[in-house]
Amino acid sequence: MTDFVQTLVLGLLIGGVYALLASGLTLIFGVMNIINVAQGAFLILAAFVTYSLWTATGIDPIAAIAITAPAMFAFGWLLYRFAVVRIRTASPAASVLLTFSIALLLEGVMGLVWGNTSHAVRPSYFNESFHVGELFLPKAQVYACLVAVGVLGALYAFLARTWTGRAIRSSAVNPEGAQLVGVDIAAVAALTFAIGVATTGAGGSLVSVLYPFLPGSHYVWISRLLGIIVLGGLGSLTGATVGALLIGVGESMVTTYIGPEWATAVPYGVIFVVLLVRPQGLFGARLREDVAV
Amino acid sequence: MRRLLAGRSRWTIVAGLATLFVALYPVLSDSTYYQDMIILSLIFAIGAVGLNVIAGYGGYVSLGQSAFVGLGAYTVGLLSLHHPDISPFVWVPLGGVVAGIAATLLGVIAMRTRGHAFVIITIAFLFLMQLVMLNWRSFTRGSSGISLPIPQWDVAYQNWPFYYALLAILAGAMLASWRIRRTKFGMGLIAMREDEDKAATVGVTTPAYKILGFVTSAVFPGMAGGVYAYYLSFIDPRGMFDIVISVQIILSMLLGGRGTLWGPVLGAFIIEPLNELANQQLGGGNSRLLIFGGLMTLVVLFLPRGIIPSAGVWLAARRRRGAEAPMGTRSDGAVPRGRLALRAPAPPGGGAPLLEVRGLSKRFGGVNAVDACSFEVQAGSITALIGPNGSGKTTAFNLIDGTMRADSGSVWLDGQRIDRMRPWRRAHLGIARTFQITRLFKEMTLLENVVAPLRSFSLARLNAVAISGPEAKRAEELLEFAGLREFRDEPAGALSYGQQKLVEFVQVLMLDPRLVLLDEPAGGINPTVIERMAQMIRELHGQGLTFLIVEHNMPFVLGLCDPVIVLARGGPICHGTPDHIQRDPKVLDAYLGEDFVLDEPVGVGS
Repeated sequence: MTDFVQTLVLGLLIGGVYALLASGLTLIFGVMNIINVAQGAFLILAAFVTYSLWTATGIDPIAAIAITAPAMFAFGWLLYRFAVVRIRTASPAASVLLTFSIALLLEGVMGLVWGNTSHAVRPSYFNESFHVGELFLPKAQVYACLVAVGVLGALYAFLARTWTGRAIRSSAVNPEGAQLVGVDIAAVAALTFAIGVATTGAGGSLVSVLYPFLPGSHYVWISRLLGIIVLGGLGSLTGATVGALLIGVGESMVTTYIGPEWATAVPYGVIFVVLLVRPQGLFGARLREDVAV
Repeated sequence: MRRLLAGRSRWTIVAGLATLFVALYPVLSDSTYYQDMIILSLIFAIGAVGLNVIAGYGGYVSLGQSAFVGLGAYTVGLLSLHHPDISPFVWVPLGGVVAGIAATLLGVIAMRTRGHAFVIITIAFLFLMQLVMLNWRSFTRGSSGISLPIPQWDVAYQNWPFYYALLAILAGAMLASWRIRRTKFGMGLIAMREDEDKAATVGVTTPAYKILGFVTSAVFPGMAGGVYAYYLSFIDPRGMFDIVISVQIILSMLLGGRGTLWGPVLGAFIIEPLNELANQQLGGGNSRLLIFGGLMTLVVLFLPRGIIPSAGVWLAARRRRGAEAPMGTRSDGAVPRGRLALRAPAPPGGGAPLLEVRGLSKRFGGVNAVDACSFEVQAGSITALIGPNGSGKTTAFNLIDGTMRADSGSVWLDGQRIDRMRPWRRAHLGIARTFQITRLFKEMTLLENVVAPLRSFSLARLNAVAISGPEAKRAEELLEFAGLREFRDEPAGALSYGQQKLVEFVQVLMLDPRLVLLDEPAGGINPTVIERMAQMIRELHGQGLTFLIVEHNMPFVLGLCDPVIVLARGGPICHGTPDHIQRDPKVLDAYLGEDFVLDEPVGVGS
C-alpha cells in the first residue's frame, strides 16, 4: 500500500511538471490550429541553456527559468515572425512538417554545440528528499512541481483576467468573431506562439534537474506531450492539466509494476486508445458544426 | 494543344531514358559504390511512391513511413533467423503483408479522426514499434539486432539481386500509383484532400478510402524493407525505425512533387546522394539533421508543390506567353448545349412523398436553427424552400444530406429512415446536394470533379477507371449539358463563380440521384447563367427528377417551383402554390416583421 501511494504521489509530482510543458502545445493548437512538434526540441534547448548557465555561474537551475522563459519567449516570437507565419493558412500537413523540420534543425544545432552525450543538472539538493510518514519526496521533484504549478497558475490568471488573455481565448474559440470585435488576431497568434514556447522553455529548466537529456531526447518528450493533449482534448488547457496528471501517474505505475523500460509506451498507448474510443479527448469540444456551410 | 502534347512526350522520353539507364546500370558499370547508391535511392523511391498515395493523393501526411520499412525488414529478418536454409527473398512478400496489416489496424484508429490526429498516430506508431523491438528481447533480440544470412551467389553478380528486386518492387509501386490516379478510388482520394466534407456528400466513403490508401502506401515499402534487411545483413531497432528515414521519404515526395507519378522517384534520387554526402563527407549525425531539417524547412516554405508541378506551371506559362489564354474566351452559359438523358429515369410521381422530414430540430448553443420542422417533398416535384435569412434553410439541407446530425426528429427517403446515416450512405441512396457557396475540388480538372462522385461502394467500383471509358463519357455528357465541355481539362478553381455553380450541379448528377437539393442555385451569378440553370432544372424535371431548392431569387423560384414551402424561425409557416404563398399574410410577416403595416402605397407621394 505504501508502495502504491508512493508511486501515485511521484506520478502526481511529475504530472504537475508535464502540465506546464503541455500547456504551450495545447495553447498554440487552440489558437492557431497548428501541432507544434518542435515543442520537444524547445524544451531540450531550454534544458541545455539551463545546463550552461548552471555550469558557468552556478545559478540554481529552477531559478534559471527567470532567464530561460523570457529568452524562449523571444525565440518563439522570432520563429513565428520569420517562419511559422508563412504557413498559417496552409494545410495541417504543412504546419506539422515545418515545425518538425525546425525540431530536426534544433537537434542538429544542439548536437554541434553541446554534443550528443547525456547531460544532467545536479544542484546540491539533488539527492535529498523530504520524508512524510513512510513516503519520501525528492526535493528536486517537489520544487519543480511547485514552480510548475505556480507558472501554470500565472498563465491561467493571465488568460482569464487580462484583456490580452481574453483576446487569446476569443481567438481560439472563434477567430472571425474575435476579429470583428477588434482583436488583432495576427498579433495574438505571434504572442500565443511566443507564450507557448516560453512556458515549455520554463518547463525545460525544470526537466534539466529531473531527467538526464541529450539532443535526441526531444522525440520522447514530444510524444509524451502529444499523448497528454490527445488525452485531454486538443486545444483544452484544463484537458492538458488533467491529461498530464493522468499520464504522470500512468508512467509512474508502469515503472513500478511493469518495468521502467515500458514507461515511455504509456503515451503511445494512450494516443491509440483515446483516438479509437473518444477522438475528442476528455475535454475537447467536437468541431463546431455550424461553420460547415 | 499540339505543343502541349509535344511537351508531354518529351518528358516521357526523358523518363524512359532515365529508367533504361537505371535498369541497365549494373550491367554497364561494375562500380559497386554507385550501385549501392542507386539501391538506397530505390528504397527511398519505393517509400515515397507509397507515401504519395495517402499523402500526395489523399492529403494525409504520415511521419511513420519508416515503420513500414522496419516492419518488413523485421519480418524477413526474424523469419530468416528461424529458417536459415531458405533464401530471405522468399519472405519479402510477407514483409509487405505484415506492413499492410499494421496499416489496416492504424487506419481503423485513424478512420474516425481528421487532420492532425493522423500525423500524431503515425508518429506514435513509429516510436512504439521501435520501443517494442527494443524491449521485447526474447523475440527480437532487442538492441543487439538480428543478423541475416550472407548472400550465397557468385561475387561477380555483386548486388544485382537486391538491385533488381528493388527495381521490380518500385515498378509495382509505380504501376499501382499510376493505376490509382486513373480510378474512382484515386479521384475520391484527391477529392478528400481537396475538401473532405464535400467528398462525403458525393458518396465518397472516406473511412474506407483512408484505410485502403494507407494500406497501399504501406505494402510496397514493407516489401522494400525486407530486401533492405537482406542487403544490410544486419538490422537493429534504432537503425530501422528511424524517424529521419521517414523525413527523407517525405522530402523525396515533397521535393519531386506530391501527387505526381514520377515526382517521388525524382526526389528520392536527389535525397539519397545528399544522404550519402552527409554521412560520408560530413560525418553523419548532426550534419544529416541540419541538411534534412534545413531542406524540409525550405521546401515547405518555398517549394511546397515540388519540382515537377512547379516546372510544369513555369513551362506552361512560358508556352502560353502572348497566346490567348483559354479562360479569356467567354463561355456563354446561356446557350443550351447538349440535352441530357437521365440514366435511371424516375418513375412518374404518384403523389407519394419522396422525402419526409418529421419534427427535425437542431440547436447551436441557444439558437434553435431548425425547430420541430416537418415537411414533405412529393416525387417528381420541384419544391422550393424559401424564407428570410436565418430561418434554417441551409441547416435543414445539412440535416437532410448528413453534413450535420439532427438533435431530434427524423428524415425519410422513400419510406426509408436516413437521419442516422453518414453522408455517403445518403448519397448512395439517391440524395444529391449542392452548396450555397460552391464547393468544387479546386485543383482537380472539371472532368475529374465530375467523375469523383461514387454511386455505391464496392471494391470493383473503386478499381474502375474513371478518367476514360464509360465514367468519363458520362462526365463529358454532363459537362456538355452544362455547356462547359471544352474546359474539361482546366482546374475547377480557374472557372468563374457562375460556371462553378453549373459544374457543381452536373457533378452531383453523376450520383444518378433521386432527389437533388440545390442551395441557392441562382445566388450571385449573372442572369444568363440563371436562365441556363432554370432550363437545366426544367429538362431534368421533365424526365421525372425531383428537386428541393433553397433560393432567394423570387422570380426564379416563382417561375420554376411548385409547391413552395416558407420557413421562418426554424419551421414551416406556410406551403402551397406560388400564387397562394404570395397572398399569405404570414409570409409577409415573416419577411417584413409583424409590425410592418402597408397602410399606404409606397413610392409616389400625394
